[in-house]
Amino acid sequence: MTQPMTPTELAAFRARQKSRSRALALVLGALVVLFFVISLVKIKNAADLRHQMAMTPPAAEPTDSH
Amino acid sequence: MSTVQPSPIVAPMTAEWRDFFALTKPRVMTLVIFTGLCGLLAAPGHVHPVLGFTAILCIAVAAGGAAALNMWWEADIDAGMKRTRHRPLPAGRMDPISARDFGVALSCGAVITMALAIGWLAAGILALSIFYYAWIYTVWLKPRTPQNIVIGGGAGAFPPLIGWIAVTGHITLMPVLLFLIIFLWTPPHFWALALFVQIDYSNVGIPMMPVVAGERSTRHQILGYAVVLLPLTLLPWWLGYTGRIYGLSALGLGLGFLALSAHVGLRRPLPADDAMTPEKRLFKYSILYLFVLFGMLVVDHLATTAGA
Repeated sequence: MTQPMTPTELAAFRARQKSRSRALALVLGALVVLFFVISLVKIKNAADLRHQMAMTPPAAEPTDSH
Repeated sequence: MSTVQPSPIVAPMTAEWRDFFALTKPRVMTLVIFTGLCGLLAAPGHVHPVLGFTAILCIAVAAGGAAALNMWWEADIDAGMKRTRHRPLPAGRMDPISARDFGVALSCGAVITMALAIGWLAAGILALSIFYYAWIYTVWLKPRTPQNIVIGGGAGAFPPLIGWIAVTGHITLMPVLLFLIIFLWTPPHFWALALFVQIDYSNVGIPMMPVVAGERSTRHQILGYAVVLLPLTLLPWWLGYTGRIYGLSALGLGLGFLALSAHVGLRRPLPADDAMTPEKRLFKYSILYLFVLFGMLVVDHLATTAGA
């Protein structure tokens, strides 16, 4: 069985817990921003590629000489 | 009177974010990030800066995840070594389950993000690198064979390969050469360290080369690897993948590495209280060597691109 924490220990425990929670919130927030920006870049890349393909004239079809 | 002993008071597991960060072996990660970045910057082609950043972030996070799994598995070994006993697990600042879950979460997160943002080939090799370090090296090789670091060196050699693939989308000879350079650099780098911390390794029963084969054999092998490494680092130049900046840098750096390795490799039997100065010098130089060599690879690529 564990003994109950003293008020000082409890305060230190809460402080560590709080610092962990803040760090986790920061990481999650950064991930949200990162995934949003990645999505924008991927969408832009795909749009550029589609535009490039639309501008490229189709290759001439091989003609049958017979 | 009761003879029952009171239960020990279990201290609450109050790991801080710094303890989780320490699990990722930040110092090792520096080299991983740098070599991965160099692979990315030296590759022919273009990648959007956001995607390039994401690729390097995934490499770093995966390395951190693999390191956390390594520390989780080796907590008892770390407790017996002076160099590692202050890590979060042996010091009792964290419970093993948290360390394991943290490692798994980082590894899975990095691989999934790499797959979605960059591509499946880069993600597959990233997953292989995690498996290689966390399972093949840590669990399988390290406690069994003195060749652990030779084969296990492959784990640290993946980042430039992954960085290259993030740009090009495929594997060619050049990124494989970069992989091989780190692969052959690892044994002399690590054995130089093992020579001056071998008491630690023998205490915990890890069959590192100096403990099993003896100092003399280890020294000869360090020199042998340095001899093979020099022409390998020059191969990209000879094959025309790089220019003169890289080639001459690789030659100069390699000769320095060879000279220091020869000093270590040809030393006579030493007294027990030897300060191991040449070994420590080789260890420090080997880190600088890899940083500068890969840095020059990027400088060479940028100079070639600018001149074209």
